[in-house]
Amino acid sequence: MKLMRTPKKVDIDITNRCNLRCRYCYHFESAGDADGDLPAEEWLRFFGELNRCAVTEVTLAGGEPFLRGDLREIIRGVVENRMRFAILTNGTLITDELAAFLASTKRCNYVQVSIDGSVPDSHDAMRGRGSFERALQGLLALKRNGVRAAVRVTIHRKNVHDLEGIARFLLEDIGLGSFGTNSAGAMGLCRKNAEMVQLTTEERTMAMETLLRLSKKYNGRIQAMAGPLAEARMWLEMEDARLEGRPSMPNRGALTACGCYRSGLSVRADGVIAPCTMLSQIELGRINRDDLATLWREHGLLNALRERGHIPLSRFPFCEDCDYVPYCTGNCPGLSYALVGEVNHPSPDACLRKFLAEGGRLPDRALLC
Amino acid sequence: MDVKKPIANPLIVLREEFDDWAILFDPDTGNAFGLNPTGVFVWKLLDGRHNPDDIVNRLREEADDVPEDAGEHARRFIASLEQQGLVGYEIEQGPGAGTGVRG
Repeated sequence: MKLMRTPKKVDIDITNRCNLRCRYCYHFESAGDADGDLPAEEWLRFFGELNRCAVTEVTLAGGEPFLRGDLREIIRGVVENRMRFAILTNGTLITDELAAFLASTKRCNYVQVSIDGSVPDSHDAMRGRGSFERALQGLLALKRNGVRAAVRVTIHRKNVHDLEGIARFLLEDIGLGSFGTNSAGAMGLCRKNAEMVQLTTEERTMAMETLLRLSKKYNGRIQAMAGPLAEARMWLEMEDARLEGRPSMPNRGALTACGCYRSGLSVRADGVIAPCTMLSQIELGRINRDDLATLWREHGLLNALRERGHIPLSRFPFCEDCDYVPYCTGNCPGLSYALVGEVNHPSPDACLRKFLAEGGRLPDRALLC
Repeated sequence: MDVKKPIANPLIVLREEFDDWAILFDPDTGNAFGLNPTGVFVWKLLDGRHNPDDIVNRLREEADDVPEDAGEHARRFIASLEQQGLVGYEIEQGPGAGTGVRG
């Protein structure tokens, strides 16, 4: 596959600080948890290089980006360097004044706010008392000021029974056009709190079925790139392929997931460049020291990652005798690293055979949109 | 002969991708426009120093089998860029007033 000359998108942790300590945060206690926030001047200098590389979009994350007192200066640097931006936030620090500023830049693709419940209890259980109300106020400030708000619901043991309420609250009461879902992956703080956070097989089964049903009810306005809804769709597709006896599926049967490092890079709060936020332990270089375009094209670790799609799943003892191998992607390398200590390995958490062996059930395919 | 010398809007990002193809990205709208290698060649000469005939002459120097009506194609292409705000022209604003660019 051909490689872009430069990355198109860069995800940047502009701070390592956060005002919350969500029990399933993938950032804290991971390699991305890198102290030593850089001054704005460092980021502005880096944005100049992104401009020269024709990068078109940055995602500002953390930590909590709105904790930075110089966030406006940083965003002005994004704008002056011909880029658009998105922000990932817990929403609790967004004021009308900040939302108006974001709108005034005309370059904000979206602000992603985490809302995990329809009522404070299911949200605050993992994010801390009072955070639901403050996140909601932040979300409403964005809406009032015409900033596109993208809500992400992380599904865990304390809100898995509230999915209908969450969908009704976000889509009907708040009036969002859509929202996204995922589930807490076994990274960062989530690993420490796995018992409290991660869905049991029974809960995962229920979440898949409920989300498919709700997605149908709301005409596809519930989305997912990962988590129970994405798994339900992918696993049903794999099961259909197996039942039909199809020999393979395009771009499957090897470690083909995911391709994020073909279009972008990430930068930790300490300025270290990594292939992806989920692979922060792979240190490729440092901003304002290493030439980004050269690193992008020539770094051995990055190019090795881009080749992992040629590693067949049949090579792994973990996949031995699995009927789903021809239809499987091996899933997220970051999650694989967190669980088995290897990037080039299928992720056990995303294994359909394992899920079924542990008593999981696939939802009725009639629920698919 | 067309004497107007177009200038690429400096806000627009040229992202050169594979095999000399590229996209023009307008960060204010988020819109992207695909360019084939000839379009990329033309875009790089929209510097306020070349009119469409100059550009086609340069193209004939660099490439084989340039069609007879390439000049018309180039003018239409530049006009479409202008329509979308991707290109402007430097204009005289009178003595002592400096110059400006209009889109």
